[in-house]
Amino acid sequence: MMDKLYLVARIADTRVALRSRAINSVVVVGTPVAVPAAPPHVAGLFALRSRVLTLIDPHVVVGLAPVPVAAGQRVIVVDVAGHGYALLADAIEDVCFIDAPETRVAGKLLPGWARIAEAMIEHQGASLLVVDPARLIAEPVASAY
Amino acid sequence: MFAMVAARLGAPVTAMDDLLNDFLAETSEILAEAGGALVAWEADPADRERLDAIFRFVHTIKGSSGFLSLPRVTALAHAAEDALDQVRRGQRQADAALVTAVLGIVDRLSDLCAALGTQGSEPAGDDSAVIAALASTGSAPVAPAESAAEPARSDAEADDLSVDLQAWRSIRVPLPLLDSVMTGVTDIVLARNEFSRMLRESGADASLVASFDRLSDSIAAMRQSVSHMRMQRIDKLFAPLPRIVRDLAQDLGKKVEFSATGGEVELDREMMENIRDPLIHIVRNALDHGIEPLDQRVAAGKSVTATLSVSARQSGNQIEIEVRDDGRGLSPDALAAKAIASRILTAAEARALSPKDKLELIFRPGFSTAAKVTSVSGRGVGMDIVKANLERIGGIVELRNEEGRGLAIVLRVPMTLTIISGLMVRAAAQYFAIPRGAVREILLENSDSVRIDRVGGGELVTVRGEQFPLLRLETILDCDVDESDDADERAIVIVRPGQGLSYAISVAAIHDHEELVIKPAAPPIMATGLYAGTTLPDNGRPVLLLDVQGVMAAAAIDASESGRAAAGAGEAEDAAASVRDAAQLLLFRDIDQRLRGVRLSVIERVEEVPVLALFESAGQVRAQIGEQIFPVHADRLPDTQGTVKLLRLHDGRAVLCYPIDAVIDIVRLPDAVQPAATPGLIAGVVLVGGEPVEVIDPFWLMERYAPVAASLVETRQPLCTLAGDQDGWGDNFLAPLLRQAGYRVAGSDEAGGERPDVMLCLADDPAQCGVAGDDVPMIRLRASLEAAASDEESVYRYDRQALLEALRRRVGGGRAA
Repeated sequence: MMDKLYLVARIADTRVALRSRAINSVVVVGTPVAVPAAPPHVAGLFALRSRVLTLIDPHVVVGLAPVPVAAGQRVIVVDVAGHGYALLADAIEDVCFIDAPETRVAGKLLPGWARIAEAMIEHQGASLLVVDPARLIAEPVASAY
Repeated sequence: MFAMVAARLGAPVTAMDDLLNDFLAETSEILAEAGGALVAWEADPADRERLDAIFRFVHTIKGSSGFLSLPRVTALAHAAEDALDQVRRGQRQADAALVTAVLGIVDRLSDLCAALGTQGSEPAGDDSAVIAALASTGSAPVAPAESAAEPARSDAEADDLSVDLQAWRSIRVPLPLLDSVMTGVTDIVLARNEFSRMLRESGADASLVASFDRLSDSIAAMRQSVSHMRMQRIDKLFAPLPRIVRDLAQDLGKKVEFSATGGEVELDREMMENIRDPLIHIVRNALDHGIEPLDQRVAAGKSVTATLSVSARQSGNQIEIEVRDDGRGLSPDALAAKAIASRILTAAEARALSPKDKLELIFRPGFSTAAKVTSVSGRGVGMDIVKANLERIGGIVELRNEEGRGLAIVLRVPMTLTIISGLMVRAAAQYFAIPRGAVREILLENSDSVRIDRVGGGELVTVRGEQFPLLRLETILDCDVDESDDADERAIVIVRPGQGLSYAISVAAIHDHEELVIKPAAPPIMATGLYAGTTLPDNGRPVLLLDVQGVMAAAAIDASESGRAAAGAGEAEDAAASVRDAAQLLLFRDIDQRLRGVRLSVIERVEEVPVLALFESAGQVRAQIGEQIFPVHADRLPDTQGTVKLLRLHDGRAVLCYPIDAVIDIVRLPDAVQPAATPGLIAGVVLVGGEPVEVIDPFWLMERYAPVAASLVETRQPLCTLAGDQDGWGDNFLAPLLRQAGYRVAGSDEAGGERPDVMLCLADDPAQCGVAGDDVPMIRLRASLEAAASDEESVYRYDRQALLEALRRRVGGGRAA
């Protein structure tokens, strides 16, 4: 059952589905502290209780210009290789069961998206990209902008 | 049966997995201890207790492995148990061959456990050779007389085992559970801080605050106990050493007596993992290079059996581990010659090194003391790696060398891996932490002793004649300088990223230093190479810990100290610099708001402590700083809250704290000093920038707090020379007094040919002062209040009256003659 549970969210101006088992929680972002000299997709650090989370801006990962962090914005907390990251989300839509099977990515994606999308899934009459959080963390390709 | 076990273990998570993990953890501990116990038993086969302990070890392994169906482990343990039992029953003699055979079994068991850990099942294999080794060794029955000597004790076997069960009064807890408890407590602490801030702001009534304080105290106590949960006795680290020493000594044909003490000291288990390899490396080095072959030991008049000891002790927040041998020690000159031969440094550079610097050469990369790489310690791991590994965890390595008589290597590490002392600095409106251990000195940028030059686009800073490459933190981090920064606050932090390396970092301001819980940062952040981790101070805003080595590499500066225009570059310049130093004045605002100054050279450091650290006892205000207590120059406790700044005056032996309101500046001490009429706190008044400044008399102060009272005696105006003034005490403390008393003062070599009227010898050993010559009378000053029997002529150096009395008598006598 858990395998079919997805978080549908809007990240980097695109609706995507994230497998729920990859997700730790969804929280409101704390005041971020900048990390000078870090790769551009690292938007800063903030504390979630006693954990220090690294804030990732998916816009930069897919090759868009970075967006400023707004107070009260929601982030998706994921654990990758023992470290906690928070993905800046434009909007969190829903957590839902999607019965449809994941299918191969059809059609040509922008290079940034092609790197992070794993599959596609049909949900309520729309095709969503299934995104692997681990691929969002890695250094982005040279920005298209 | 074998396959069945494997199949069962293959299931995702079963109770069997837990059992196996427990078995492996317990067995590896037992095996490590057994190795040590076996070696000790070999040294003294009559030691019945050891034998029983070893027997219990293998008995336990046999029991648990039988339960888990591990046939090879059971067979091995069973064979060892049988052989040991024969010895216990007096049917067999304990000898080196038996010990070696049992050690063989222990090794094989370790291998099997390692395989079990990775594969989850017992690998197939043949142990008959190892088991046969037990039987084939001289199993001649012991003489009946001997076995009869202790017949009653072997009957007590059943009792031994039950007693042992009582000794294991501890439980096994998985590490992730411990970590989650740790995290939970940290969360509680952060929530408490938040709550406490809100409570203050809301102006809650006193009873509510008091009750919150009680909660707060219990949380602090809980945090303390939780951090102790990660602690392990250092015994665990020492356990494999006897075995390593025994095997290696046998290979090398050396006789070594090994001892380990301080095993009860506790250390964070993660920290323990980090020092295991360095420690083993040092022990191997000591055996291989330090301890001489038998014939050389005899030739050197030493006992044939060398001693090698490992000891641990706790001092404050640190653990000190010492590995000491009585071998040949290190020869500074041989090390230098070796370094020149391996082109680590040039002959000219080598000449400039002090003996201590020469010893430190062993920490240079690519340096190996053995003439050729041996199979024992030449494994590509050098002392440079040992040092680097220790520094990575915030530790340091010290050498205590006695050439020809032995070497002690001291490892000093923080008690836990995760907490380090960090200096908080600000740059670009953001806080960063620098590991305190790497910080050599902190100076204000606009201080008199700092000069900054721009050279070819780079910057360098000269501090008291010593040059350092200068990096601005904002530039390194590619940030803009915050415009609201106060230029007067900009400071320079001189850091030591490694042996023989140093550079300066300029920051917008120094904040304070704190104990920080460090966690690794996420890989994309670590990949910048500039940061060593993150930390979360109590305010809940994450702070990045700077990696001083990474910063150096990222800035691509040459931080090597060799060849730099340093203080040692020219003797004359050096001397000039030291004269300049001696004549610097620290300006400060006293508690009573007066502008005062004190010679910079008598200040050890400026300390900011909470008012609570001051207390009164025996009519004297004292301050507790760290583990030490110092007298404070104050009549009563301050009635303020918060913190108080203390100047630490140091005369080379004792420390006195002088409370002040604020440090103002460091200036050159003007030549014209208007002396005070009577001796007291104020030695005189000088003009600094048109303002009168009262100059403190450190002699008067130290004397007041030295356990002796004295009063001034008037004298005449003769020339007095100071000899053996190695630590500058004479110049800084004594000379002002003598001048005030009407003497002229000169160093022993700067009298300018004039025959002195009297010579004061400050060295402990009168021979160091040389001969005064031409019947110049000499007065020896001693540092201790009590005179040794042979030392009656000397004068206690803070006994002003006795000193002046002695001067008057000698000088008077000299004149009469």
